[in-house]
Amino acid sequence: MMDVIASTLAQSGWPEAMPAPTLAHYLFVSVAMFAIGLVGFLTRRNLIIMFLCTELMFQAAGIALVAFGRYHLDYNGQTFVIFVVTVAAAEAALALALVVLLFRKRESLSADEWAEMRG
Amino acid sequence: MGVADRTLRSQGRPLLNAIINPIALYLLIALAGVGVCLALPRKGPSPQALGGLLAAAGFGGLVLALTLWANESGAIPNPYFYVFGLVALGAGLRVVTHPRPVYAALYFILVVLASAGLLLILSAEFMAFAMIIVYAGAILITYLFVIMLATQAPSEDMIDALADYDRQSREPVGAAVAGFVLLAAMTTLLFRGIGPTEAGDHAPGHGAPALVAKNDASADAALLLRLPGKVETELRELGLMEHDEALVRDASGALMLDPVAREAVVVEPDGTTRVVSWPEGELNVQNIEGLGFNLLDEHPGSIEIAGVILLMAMLGAVVLSRKQVEMDEEAKARQARRLSAELQATAVERRS
Amino acid sequence: MAIELQQLVQVVAGAMALGADAGAPIAGGHVSPGPAWAMLIPALPLLGVLIAMFAAIFRVKSKLPAYAAVACLGAAFVVTVALWRQLGGGTQVIHGWDWIRFSWGPGEGQTFIANFGLYVDSLTCLWMLFVTGLATLIALYASEYMSHDQGTGYCRFFAAFCLFVLSMTCLVMADNMILLYLGWEGVGLCSYLLIGYFYKKPSAVAAAKKAFIMNRIGDLGLALGVMLTFVHFGTIEYVQLFASERLQEYLALVGEGRLSEIPLQAQLIPVLLMIGAFGKSAQLPLYVWLPDAMEGPTPVSALIHAATMVTAGVFLIARTFPVFVLSEWALPVVAWVGALTALLAATIGMAQFDIKRIMAYSTVSQLGYMFAGLGVLTTTGAAFHVFTHAFFKATLFLCCGAVMHGMAGQLDLRKLSGLMKVPGWRIVSLAMLVGCLNLAGFPFTAGFFSKDMIIAESFVTPGYGAIGWILLITAGLTAYYTFRVFFRVFVGPVHYEAGDEAHGHDDAHAHDAHGHDAHHAAHGDAHGHDHGAHSHDAHGAHDDHHAGEFHPHAPGWAINTVLTVLAVASILAAGVYFVNKPDHGWVGSMVHDSTAHYVSPFAHHEAAADGAGHDAAHGHAADGHGEHATGHGDEHAAAHAGTFLGMNPHEVMYYVSGVVGFLGIGAAFGLHYLGRTTAARSKADDLLPLLGPIPRWAQNKWYVDELYDFLVRIPLWVASHILHVIDKLLVDGLVNLFGWLPRAFGSIVRPSQSGVLHQYALGMAGGLAVLMVIVLVVLR
Repeated sequence: MMDVIASTLAQSGWPEAMPAPTLAHYLFVSVAMFAIGLVGFLTRRNLIIMFLCTELMFQAAGIALVAFGRYHLDYNGQTFVIFVVTVAAAEAALALALVVLLFRKRESLSADEWAEMRG
Repeated sequence: MGVADRTLRSQGRPLLNAIINPIALYLLIALAGVGVCLALPRKGPSPQALGGLLAAAGFGGLVLALTLWANESGAIPNPYFYVFGLVALGAGLRVVTHPRPVYAALYFILVVLASAGLLLILSAEFMAFAMIIVYAGAILITYLFVIMLATQAPSEDMIDALADYDRQSREPVGAAVAGFVLLAAMTTLLFRGIGPTEAGDHAPGHGAPALVAKNDASADAALLLRLPGKVETELRELGLMEHDEALVRDASGALMLDPVAREAVVVEPDGTTRVVSWPEGELNVQNIEGLGFNLLDEHPGSIEIAGVILLMAMLGAVVLSRKQVEMDEEAKARQARRLSAELQATAVERRS
Repeated sequence: MAIELQQLVQVVAGAMALGADAGAPIAGGHVSPGPAWAMLIPALPLLGVLIAMFAAIFRVKSKLPAYAAVACLGAAFVVTVALWRQLGGGTQVIHGWDWIRFSWGPGEGQTFIANFGLYVDSLTCLWMLFVTGLATLIALYASEYMSHDQGTGYCRFFAAFCLFVLSMTCLVMADNMILLYLGWEGVGLCSYLLIGYFYKKPSAVAAAKKAFIMNRIGDLGLALGVMLTFVHFGTIEYVQLFASERLQEYLALVGEGRLSEIPLQAQLIPVLLMIGAFGKSAQLPLYVWLPDAMEGPTPVSALIHAATMVTAGVFLIARTFPVFVLSEWALPVVAWVGALTALLAATIGMAQFDIKRIMAYSTVSQLGYMFAGLGVLTTTGAAFHVFTHAFFKATLFLCCGAVMHGMAGQLDLRKLSGLMKVPGWRIVSLAMLVGCLNLAGFPFTAGFFSKDMIIAESFVTPGYGAIGWILLITAGLTAYYTFRVFFRVFVGPVHYEAGDEAHGHDDAHAHDAHGHDAHHAAHGDAHGHDHGAHSHDAHGAHDDHHAGEFHPHAPGWAINTVLTVLAVASILAAGVYFVNKPDHGWVGSMVHDSTAHYVSPFAHHEAAADGAGHDAAHGHAADGHGEHATGHGDEHAAAHAGTFLGMNPHEVMYYVSGVVGFLGIGAAFGLHYLGRTTAARSKADDLLPLLGPIPRWAQNKWYVDELYDFLVRIPLWVASHILHVIDKLLVDGLVNLFGWLPRAFGSIVRPSQSGVLHQYALGMAGGLAVLMVIVLVVLR
């Protein structure tokens, strides 16, 4: 069953490498997604949404890595994504714990509440 | 591969002009940037729809340019790419622009699903499903819980009220400029760095020979030597092996199997051996198998470290989010007095 | 037991070596290893330091540190006596341990060796005997004197005291100049600590600093001298130095009167050493620290001024005497400086009213005598004077201390009178009398003989007659000011006033302002001075910070014992002149066997008078020092030996100086005793106006301090202020500029550090974008 879905969806059958113009498509999606995530991170004030934007950037990086791995017929791309996801999960856990903590202190999710770091 | 291309290459110029006029490229990127900027939440009348349209036009134009170029070299991507890619970008835009965190999180699930589709097209099916399970299943649910914890409406009649910090984004223009200048830079790199750097290596499958050599078909097929169970099962399913037959191993314990010639030696119950060969296209090494071998052969230490990181993150999250009650000495003393009084009261009650 | 046996073996071996090497031309006699137990002499004071330190740590409130110090110093004295008894005329070197030894080449003068070793000859023994002996007695005295300060201060005092003796031991017993320098500096440090003992009193702190800085000037000379010695002779060990061929060669040149052939470098060494000696022994122009050092507790004054520290300069010259004869003007300078210091200090002493200060100036004056003695080539006379002076000056100081202790810090001779008649003060008065007689050079006292020897010798040595006259006049002045103190304070009508310390610290009477004395004098005038024996009643209003009447308390057993012993010792010190007479007494024989021995070519009068036995008995030593024995650049010595008005100075001087002494004492008797009915005034005050402003000048110490102020302090003050401005504007300005630049830059970029997360993130992203654009544009 999986084979069927996979062969339907897959670009041109594994393990043949995909051509460079196609790689460019995926990389463009990845870069665009990253840029959108970055803009979101820079503009949104809600701590949770800021973290969601970082997750978006992680996604973008993951797509780029897998696309490159596919292009070079190298599993290391995917392996790397596994670690990226691991780190993302750990980061999400800690970040959310921190968000909860910060929210408890100020009753607000605004990042502007925490502007006392100035030197 | 046109003559013009070759000329450009020989001069060391990027292929950018061949793909898309740089001015057009930057205009499109600027269009997308303005769109994103407009789509960000703000107070007062918010032209979010217009922004979305502009962003879609910009990104769509860029994808169209890419497709035209790909069409030239006969490498049109899988049509599902357009579906998943555009869904991913659109949902990502909504994640960034939606004023309500819950909706943003839900849109992020959509992003994850679309990305999983893209990964599936890239034959990375394990990653696709792992992404869905880990992100959509675990991380996003945690996000939703935290959103529920932290975003409470002040009262019941203001249930729809948005927090100030959600209603208004901060410095959208500066952020959009920074983000989209970065996008422009990376796109420029993409359009000129990808593609043949030497004549003749533009053919599919030969993008970067030095790197490809590692995991080409023969190398992948060699993994069959380490998958005796899979070989036996599949050979039996193909009817090439009986149930009472078995694969033969040589003195060093390696399977007597030639993955390139697609031949294997099996032994019958009576001890006689024969050579089995299977047709081409059968008995392939799956992506997930290759990934597993790669992960455990080449990165065992990293896996251990990843485990430690996860454990530490878990502990850290527990420690950080624990409810901390701060009591001064006086409060402690009061508490102790209260407790002892209660105990005495219960004792008195019991006695009576 | 084992030590004794070893000692015996060493003595025998030393004696044998002495016999075998007889006649070897090594200055200072025959070098042999000495007994190891001699190391106890520095070790015992160190033990005293440690005990006092631990007493301070454990906050001992009793007199334990004092008695420990007395015991340790007494034991050191006993060991010194034993060392002296076994010495037998030679030179012993006791090697303690290798201390400094480094080499930068195989050649001569390329290895620097300074061991912790002791160089023991009779000169060392002479010095150590009175250093340890007097230190013991003074420590005993101080145990009572300092008793009001029991506690940490008491421990601190005795720790510094023992450290002082330890340093002095290092200085005197060192077998090389580096160890001597260590002791030299240690002595300076300890004197700083002890003078500044009452560190809460600004004048004491100032005096301590003054002493330290004045000593530093001298120390610089000594340090340079030591360095130059090494550079020139390639060694700083005495044994090597005195035996070095170079030195012997020079001494031979001196003997032939060819001084000009000695290189300038070698001639510079004694000059530098001399500067060191001037600083430590308070000679012109560096003497001003010593009178101010009276701010310290009196036992310290006694220890420093009588016995130890100030004689270090004399010791240095005596010890390195063979080097001193190398320069044709080092010894004349020493003689002249000594004589002028003696005269100057005596004139200042005549006009002072603070008895302790008078004693301080007398010390400076007597040190001048010693230097003059060294300068006129009578090392024996100098050493003898050091020896006798140590006893009688310790006596005098301790008597002053007793008065001060009992009279609540009162030292003004115009406010004290007739103490001998006050109950309990008889011993102090008698001891004072003995000390004064000695200092005045009363016939047949120790001071008489030792002073005579120097004066006579300066007449004997040609070209120094003027010095002889100066010293003779000074002797008369000395007798006068000494007995001025005695007649004013100890005899006459009974009268006493408390000092401004009601049995508190000993010297809050700061004497730093002359106005103070003047105030007292005026006060005395206003209240009249014909009170009877108990006139202090009249001063009740003035001394209102005393609760009720003032009762002087007489000294206790420790002070009386020490004073008795010292007075008796001062009397007996005269006796040593008659022991071993051919060598000018016992001290002479001690000097004879040491490096300081110098047979003056002009001494033939004495030798002739004493008979031929002298030369015969000491022929070997004379041979040993033949090189420098023949003279100070004067080959016709015998023919030109000076005379005193045509007579043999050594014979006449007894009578002359006796007469001079009597004149001085008589003057004091007439001016300060006869007809004196009050404490505050005497006949002398009526005569003073005849002398014009001179007495006031003398009282103000001839304005030497003011002169130094003018010559040194004011130019330095001006220069420092100029430099201060330069420093402020230029150096600080430059430094501040470098400080200001980052600040200015920081104030430009500081707003970017808003603490707002978004701005930081935007900065990062924007920076990354800019960076990528640059990469794209530049690396295209």
